[in-house]
Amino acid sequence: VTDSKARLAHFGDAQLAIEGIRDYAVFMLERDGTVASWNEGGRTIKGYAPSEIIGQSHTRFYTREDVQAGKPARLLARAEREGRVEDEGWRVRKDGTRFWADVVITAVRGPDGILRGFVKITRDLTERKRADEALRQGEERLRLMIDSVEDYAIFMLDPTGRVTSWNPGAERLKGYKPREIIGQSFARFYPEEDLRAGKPARELEIAAAEGRFEEEGWRVRKDGSRFWANVVLSAVRDVRGTLLGFAKVTRDLTERRRAEQAVIERARQQGAVARLGVFAVEKGDLDEVISRAIEVVRDTLHTELVQVLELTGEGSSLTLRAGSGIDPCAVGRGRVAGQGASQLLAAEALQLDPQRLQELGFLSGQHPPSGITATIRASGRPRGAYGVFAAHTAAAREFTGDDVSFLQSVANVVSAVIDRRAMEDQLRIVEQRAQEERIRTSQIREALRERDEFISVAAHELRTPLTALQLKLQGLERGLKGIAPENNPGAGKLGDRLDGALRQTERLSHLIERLLDVSRIASGRLELARDRFDLAELVRQVAEDFREPAAAAGSELRVQAGQRVEGTWDRLRMEQVLVNLLSNAVKYGAGRPIAVRAEPAGERIRISIADQGIGIASEDQARIFSRFERAAPMRNYGGLGLGLYICQHIIDAHGGRIEVSSRPGEGSTFVVDLPLVAAHANPAGHDPPQARA
Amino acid sequence: MNARGCNRTVLVVEDDHDVREAIAEVLADSRYQAVPAANGAEALRQLRAARVAPCLILLDVMMPVMDGWQFRAEQQRDAKVKDIPVVVLSAHADAGDAAARMSAVGYLSKPVALEQLLSMVERFCAVEPESEEESK
Repeated sequence: VTDSKARLAHFGDAQLAIEGIRDYAVFMLERDGTVASWNEGGRTIKGYAPSEIIGQSHTRFYTREDVQAGKPARLLARAEREGRVEDEGWRVRKDGTRFWADVVITAVRGPDGILRGFVKITRDLTERKRADEALRQGEERLRLMIDSVEDYAIFMLDPTGRVTSWNPGAERLKGYKPREIIGQSFARFYPEEDLRAGKPARELEIAAAEGRFEEEGWRVRKDGSRFWANVVLSAVRDVRGTLLGFAKVTRDLTERRRAEQAVIERARQQGAVARLGVFAVEKGDLDEVISRAIEVVRDTLHTELVQVLELTGEGSSLTLRAGSGIDPCAVGRGRVAGQGASQLLAAEALQLDPQRLQELGFLSGQHPPSGITATIRASGRPRGAYGVFAAHTAAAREFTGDDVSFLQSVANVVSAVIDRRAMEDQLRIVEQRAQEERIRTSQIREALRERDEFISVAAHELRTPLTALQLKLQGLERGLKGIAPENNPGAGKLGDRLDGALRQTERLSHLIERLLDVSRIASGRLELARDRFDLAELVRQVAEDFREPAAAAGSELRVQAGQRVEGTWDRLRMEQVLVNLLSNAVKYGAGRPIAVRAEPAGERIRISIADQGIGIASEDQARIFSRFERAAPMRNYGGLGLGLYICQHIIDAHGGRIEVSSRPGEGSTFVVDLPLVAAHANPAGHDPPQARA
Repeated sequence: MNARGCNRTVLVVEDDHDVREAIAEVLADSRYQAVPAANGAEALRQLRAARVAPCLILLDVMMPVMDGWQFRAEQQRDAKVKDIPVVVLSAHADAGDAAARMSAVGYLSKPVALEQLLSMVERFCAVEPESEEESK
């Protein structure tokens, strides 16, 4: 009994302890599953108060499905048979909600071995279950995600580097199917040289040591082709730090790398063109620029064969001018382009592909499989082109659009030099012509100056002997007069002959004066001594002087100058003009009447002298006012041909005009139009002012 | 000037022999004595050697050895002869201008007419005492 009491007491303590447990529902079941006791944990987890549940069947803790499936009875049967049963599964609370429970049911037997009932311990695993579920779903999502990624190869390696998983991205990128690669070493993704360098193993070591390894480099596909890859290798370890393997993410950067390379290449090409341009500006020599351009193309495009072909023979043939990788003996050798080629050359752009150049023999002995060409334009050349810039490679190669535009830019630099040189040549020719013209003009001016100087010197020189001659003749005349006629019976006859000689010295003197007038006009020293007088009266006087010689020539002089016209002119010069015009009229008047008129016209005077003689052809009318010019043939009519030239200058100096109208065989009319008073230079073609009313 | 006693002598400074001779002839016809000189230097020698000064100097401008300008400058530096009047004789249009710049009493343009020559000479070498009176 004591033992029993002690056990009971002990049991009672245990009972208290059990009742206080909150985290576990701990309660007793009768043999048939009726709840016999309850604790605080049962209330917390399942929601029942002891009074509500003691005496009830434990089946109410199970879901309907489990009850229908007979799970409560089965678990008790197993516990009875095996002493203990553990189960995880859904259970139901008082309020009907479910929770995930870990349940242990232990059979309780008396000392006699007879089953008394069961102890059931239930733990609420809902939180843990939720976490597990999340993890499971997370893994699933991750797997789906990894499988759906096509742009990245994402796969796992075991610690030795063998592939353990393979996603579609990896398959797409590297070309292997999962079954072909799983279990294989990742080393097969590396190019030969990396393998020899031991790179795969080293990368694993670094990733294991530092947790991560990243690089960019060449990788190899299943088909052997290479691609530029970004690779991240991450070590995977468990909670204790044991290396489980590696996650590897690989990205194909071939396109990005190509784009980057293209940008770099383009910048390099543009830099090369710019430097060539600077060189061309500094040098300007075509041959030097061409050979530099060839070097630039060779070094930039890495083309073994570079040629500059000049279009020759008016565009019908091509001649190798310079090149790199060419046969030096071929330089200067021309090749007739032939009909087919000539059609090509006629096109705006000289597109010559390798095949065409091969046909033309410019690639003889060499077989460059790829190449590009660019036209070297030149505006001043046949077909508007200097020729072709060609770049070819020995190895097959794809040229980019950038390469073509680079070559064209280089060709354009050469074009610019050719055009500039052509312009410079043209400019030089123009300058040379201008220089020649200047020299010629100055030579002519010098010759004219020398002639005028000669005329001046000659006239002065002639005056000296004329002085001696005239003085002697006049002395003789005077001496003759001093002798009484009775002492000198032949004096009268001698006097006439002396008169004749003196008239000749006057003529000589007159000719010399005209020569001096020309000299004065040429040097701008024709000066006027103006006086106020009636010019109509002077016309009448001069006409009167001519009446006799005109009559001697058979011409009647008809003078109409009755109206007084007063003004200021140089009397001697005016007389000179009138004498000149009248003597011309008598000389060329062919014995027909000569009309002389002088009349006022407003603030001007108009004098006309009209003959009906041989006239002047229209083509001669302009030049009769030039120096030493005469319309009449020299043989028949004497004179220096200075009269009208001097007349025009005298009239000009007075601000007037002289004009001629004439028809051959019908005569000439000279009209002099003069302002009455000194005026500023009269612009040519200006009409005289109308007479005031 | 004539008060010094004019001897009707005219110094003719002219490089052209024919002109010199023609002038001498016509002056002789009118009872003047012409002393010829082919250039300025010769004229200066004649002038300084003469016992009686000429009443007039006819002076050409352009001459070899010593031209009219140099002669005139030398003459004006020599007190004994500087007052003898000078008439410029020139073939150039600017004879008047040259005469003015040389302070000559007059000029004659070639070709010279006999009447002009004689009237010019007469102005400075009058014969009769009454002419001398008139010129005062």
